[in-house]
Amino acid sequence: MKDIADQEVIDLEDMDIEAFNAFATDQGWSDGMPLYVPTEDKVARFVETVRGDNRPYPPVPPRQVIPTVQALAANAVMAGCKPEYFPVVTAALRGVLDPDYNLHGTLATTHSCAPMVMVSGPIRHELKINCGSNCFGQGWQANATIGRALGLMLLNVAGAKPGEMDRSTQGNPAKFTFCFGENEEENPWTPYHVQRGFAATDSVVTVMSGEGPHNLNDHGSTTGDGLLTTFAGGMATPGANTIYGKGPMFVIIGPEHAATLKRDGFTIESIRQELYRRSRVHASRISVENQDTYISTGHKPDGDWFTIARSPDDIHITVAGGPGKHSAFIPSFGGTTVASTRIAR
Amino acid sequence: MRIVNPSFGLAAAGGEKIALKPVNWASDAIALVSNSKPNARELLAGIRDKLGAFRTVDNIEFLAKDSASQPAPKDLIEAIAGKYRGALLAIAD
Repeated sequence: MKDIADQEVIDLEDMDIEAFNAFATDQGWSDGMPLYVPTEDKVARFVETVRGDNRPYPPVPPRQVIPTVQALAANAVMAGCKPEYFPVVTAALRGVLDPDYNLHGTLATTHSCAPMVMVSGPIRHELKINCGSNCFGQGWQANATIGRALGLMLLNVAGAKPGEMDRSTQGNPAKFTFCFGENEEENPWTPYHVQRGFAATDSVVTVMSGEGPHNLNDHGSTTGDGLLTTFAGGMATPGANTIYGKGPMFVIIGPEHAATLKRDGFTIESIRQELYRRSRVHASRISVENQDTYISTGHKPDGDWFTIARSPDDIHITVAGGPGKHSAFIPSFGGTTVASTRIAR
Repeated sequence: MRIVNPSFGLAAAGGEKIALKPVNWASDAIALVSNSKPNARELLAGIRDKLGAFRTVDNIEFLAKDSASQPAPKDLIEAIAGKYRGALLAIAD
């Protein structure tokens, strides 16, 4: 008889949900929260939603196995997705499989990074993906389960088992789930996916291996210039990977902050330029030993200042969230890229 | 009940095993490869010093990945395979 790991379909005696969860935990399939049962018929309903996407999947690092669509769907079922969410999840998976995303490095690192999943385009409303108040938080099935399904795929298909292949020192709550929608309706500039060359009518998933959101609170500034001073100050942190493992980062601007910046004539490009110029860390805030580390790995200061990005292009800007004077900074792992994938439908 | 295995996958091609040649650690050329994390070089230097107690170290050389967060580039791996009989990797953190 074949080992369970070698069987795509497994015959089990009938069991209740608690017994299934105990079994799944024994198999190493669980992220610690309750799982739905990936029955063959339920998985088949999910597979139907991606029939139009026949592109093969490459081997998934670090485990280097080629996943079947059924196995991917089983993870989405277990996460609590609705079938119609599955094309979003598979598009996110294709994003993290971009070689420049460096999936092996981002999963095996001691850093806390987790895949940030941002959804753009019309599908946000069709699937009720929260783009407004509390968009990074709880309360929305699509946000909660799409991010969770990707995390389960990385656990079960990629093999990123915590403490084994996933060597993160402390982890990050975003490893459970981190999915939100762009607030295109309150974005006074160009939606992110259009910035990336997609049509406004396309639905697109963007992934980046990031930390959780760092809040940028500014209730006092009444000008765009003032807001950028706050943003840059919040971004200029000596503890971010990106100070020496240079890579991309997101600034997710809240709608009220975005309106102020727009009123004062700022564009996406001028915001990036200003944040790149201002978000630097003075050498006095970095230990001499750590400065030596940065310099020895090729990250020399500009005078007495260390930059947190290679260029303004590393700073990705969009709008999400609801009313309130908050924005967010999401630094990345560093040695990674931002990958955007059109959702095949 | 019948469930679908969420960890099922097909083995990728190209994972074939290769025959390893024996290494004579007392005399062969050895690569000391750093993962480019802080202190990896120091760890390898200590190993080189200890090897120097019983063998020549002229053919023991230091190499490093370009970045701690990126895989070793193919040309580095090929250079190691072509020039050295053994490699010691330091995964410092």
